[in-house]
Amino acid sequence: MDATLTIQLIIQGILLGGIYGLIAMGLSLIFGVMGVINFAHGQMMVMAMYVSYWIFVLLGLDPYLSLIIVVAVIFVMGYVIQATVVNRIIDYPEAMQVLPLVSIGLILENLALLLWGPDHRSPQTILSLESIWIGPIMIDVSRLIAFVLAIFFTILIFLFLKKTNIGKCIRAASDNRMGAILVGIDVNRIYNASFGLGAATTAAAGVLLLPLMPISPHMGHDFTLTAFIVVILGGMGNLLGALVGGLILGVAELVSTLFLPATLKQVVSFSILIIIMLFRPQGILGGKK
Amino acid sequence: MPRKKLGNMDRRTFIKTSSMIGLGAAVTSFGVPKLLRAAPPTIKIGSVQPATGPLAVIGVGQRRGNQLAVDYINAMGGIKSMGGAKLELLLGDSESKPEIGRSEADRLIKAGASVITGPFQSGVALAISTLCEQRQVPFIMDVAALDKITDKGYKYTFRVFITVSGLLNGAIKYLKMVTDMKGVMPKRAVVTNTADAFGKGMSGGFVKFLEKSGLPIEVVDKVQYPLGIHDLSAEVARIKAAKPDILFPVSRPGDGIILTRELYKQRVELLGIFGPGSPGWYEPDVIKDLDKLIYYVMVNVPWINPESKVYQQANAAFQKAHSRYLDTNSAYAYTGVLVIADILERTASTDPEKILKATRQTNFTNHPVVGGPVQFDQKGNNTGALTALIQVQPDQDLLKRVKIVAPNEFAQSDKIVFPAPQLWKR
Repeated sequence: MDATLTIQLIIQGILLGGIYGLIAMGLSLIFGVMGVINFAHGQMMVMAMYVSYWIFVLLGLDPYLSLIIVVAVIFVMGYVIQATVVNRIIDYPEAMQVLPLVSIGLILENLALLLWGPDHRSPQTILSLESIWIGPIMIDVSRLIAFVLAIFFTILIFLFLKKTNIGKCIRAASDNRMGAILVGIDVNRIYNASFGLGAATTAAAGVLLLPLMPISPHMGHDFTLTAFIVVILGGMGNLLGALVGGLILGVAELVSTLFLPATLKQVVSFSILIIIMLFRPQGILGGKK
Repeated sequence: MPRKKLGNMDRRTFIKTSSMIGLGAAVTSFGVPKLLRAAPPTIKIGSVQPATGPLAVIGVGQRRGNQLAVDYINAMGGIKSMGGAKLELLLGDSESKPEIGRSEADRLIKAGASVITGPFQSGVALAISTLCEQRQVPFIMDVAALDKITDKGYKYTFRVFITVSGLLNGAIKYLKMVTDMKGVMPKRAVVTNTADAFGKGMSGGFVKFLEKSGLPIEVVDKVQYPLGIHDLSAEVARIKAAKPDILFPVSRPGDGIILTRELYKQRVELLGIFGPGSPGWYEPDVIKDLDKLIYYVMVNVPWINPESKVYQQANAAFQKAHSRYLDTNSAYAYTGVLVIADILERTASTDPEKILKATRQTNFTNHPVVGGPVQFDQKGNNTGALTALIQVQPDQDLLKRVKIVAPNEFAQSDKIVFPAPQLWKR
C-alpha cells in the first residue's frame, strides 16, 4: 500500500471529520436539550450556504467574512422555527415530531429550488484553491481553516454552555424541564435559543464548506444523514461525542477508498453505525443513559 | 385575544398566497402551450419528455425546444402542402420513468397525435418504440442514444440524435486526430465516471473502444463515484497515485467542478482532460465558476452549430422566451420537430404509411446542430449525426469560451491546445 497516499487520506479525513463534527454538533445540541430530532438539519445547512453564496455574489463578501451574518440569519430562522412549530409538538410522541420537521426540510429545500434553481453553484472564493505542501503531502487550506474553526466553535459552545447564564439555563432545561420551570426559567425561550444555536452551528459548518463543494438544493439529505451517523456514533446529546464521531467517520470514509470503490463509501459509514449500535448502543461517549 | 385572531388571519392568508404561488409556479413551469385553434386543420405532434422528476431541468428544456419549432413553423405559414395546416404540440410527461412514458405516449396517440417525438431517455424510448410499432404511429426521436432502440428492426422508429457507438467512435476519432496533430501520445490514462446507468455505460464502452482502437494508451485505473458526490479528495488522491498522463472523465455538472479543483489542489500533472462524451464541462455556470481552470478541457459531444443562421434565429427566440441559451439538447428537440415538419410538407398527409415512406427519403439540411444532412438508414438512425470536438478556450465573453475545434467545416477555432498548461501554472 502506498504510504504517501494513506497518510494523505488520513489527513484529509481528519480535516473533513472536523466539519462533520460541527454539523452534527447542532443536531446533538437540539436533541440533547429538547429530545427532538431535527430532520431539517441538512436543509438548514444548505440554506446557510445559499445565503453565504448570495452575499458573495451580490456584495462580493468572501464566505469567511460573511460567516457572522449568515450565522445570525440562520440563528433567527432556527429561533422562529422553534417558537412557531417545535414548541407546539415537544410533548407529542416521537413519531409525530418527525413529520413537521421533515416538512420544514422539504419547504426549505424547495424554497432553495425556487429561489436559486437546480444548477450547481460553486463560486471561486479567495482561498478555495490554496494548498500547503509538507513534502509530498498536500494540505488543503480551506479544509484546514474549516477544521480549525470547527474546533474553535466547539470550544466556544462548550464555554458558552458552562460559563454564561443562558448556557446554564440551557443545561438546566436539558437536565430537568420541570425543575427549570420551577426555578423561574422561561423554558420555551431557552428552547428557542437552543434550537437557534443548533441551527447556527450547522450554518457555520455550511459556510465553511462553501469553498469546498458546489451547492445544489437537493444536497441537504446527505448531510442530515451524515449528521445522524456522527451523532449516534458519538452518543446522542453528547457534544464532544459529535466531534469524536465526526473525526472517526471522516477518516473511515476517506481511508476506505484505498480498499473499496468510492461508491461503497456509504456502506462503510453505515457498517460503522451498525457495529456501534450492536456493541455500544449509547455511542462512544454517551455514558449516562 | 387579538393576538390569536391575528395569528389565524395570518395562517389563512399564508395558505391562500402560498397556494396561489404554488399554482402559478406549476402552471408556468409547464411552458404553457399556445393552443392554436384558428385554422381548423391542425396536425398533432405528441411530445413525451421527462418534464418532472430528476431530469426536469432537461425535460422542460426539451419541451421548450419542441414548442419553439412548432411556433416557428406555424409563424412561417404552417404546412403549406396541406393548405397551411398548423402544428399542435401535445404534451406528455414521462416523469423519467419508462412505464409512465409509454402510457403518456399512448394517451397522446389516443388524443390524435400523428407523430410522437421525445423522449430524452433511452429506457423510455425503448418502451415507446414498442408501443408505436403496435399502434402504427411514427416515432421520430429527438434525443435518445442507446443503440438497442433502433436495433430491434422496428419500422416506425427513427432517431435524429447520434447513437452511443457513434458517440464513442467520435471520441476515438478525435483522440487520434489530436494526438496525431500534436505528435504527443499519452501513455497512462485514468477513466472516471459517475455510478449511474449513463456513467457506467459510457465509461465501460469507452474503455472497450479505446482497447480496440490500437492507440497505445493504457487505462491504469478506473475511478467510479456516486452521482451527486460532495467530496472527491480521496478519489483524486487515488488518481494522483496512478500517475496518469491524461484523464477521461464521464461526469455530471456538479462533479466536474469538484474534480477540477481537487486536481489543481493536489497538483496532478496531466497532459490534458479529454471528456469522451458527458456534460459537466460546457454549461455556462460551470465555465463561470471554474474560469481559468476549465480552459483547454476537450469534450466530444453532439453540439450546436452556433454559426448557422437557423441556430442564431432559434437561439434569439429561445433567449427571449426563457432567458437561457439554446443548448445542445434543446437544439436537437428543435431539430426533431423541424424534421417532422419537413416530412409532413413532402407527404401532404398524416397517413402513417405515407409518413414512413417520406421519412426514409428525408434529406434535411437546414438544422441548428453540428452534422450532415438528416437522412435515415435502414435501421432508422440518422446517418448525418456527428459529434463535435469542443475545447474551452480563453475569451472575454463567457458564452463564447466553448469553441468547436473539429470537424473542420464547423470549427470556430483552428488552434487546439494540447498538451494543456498545468492547472496551477495558468
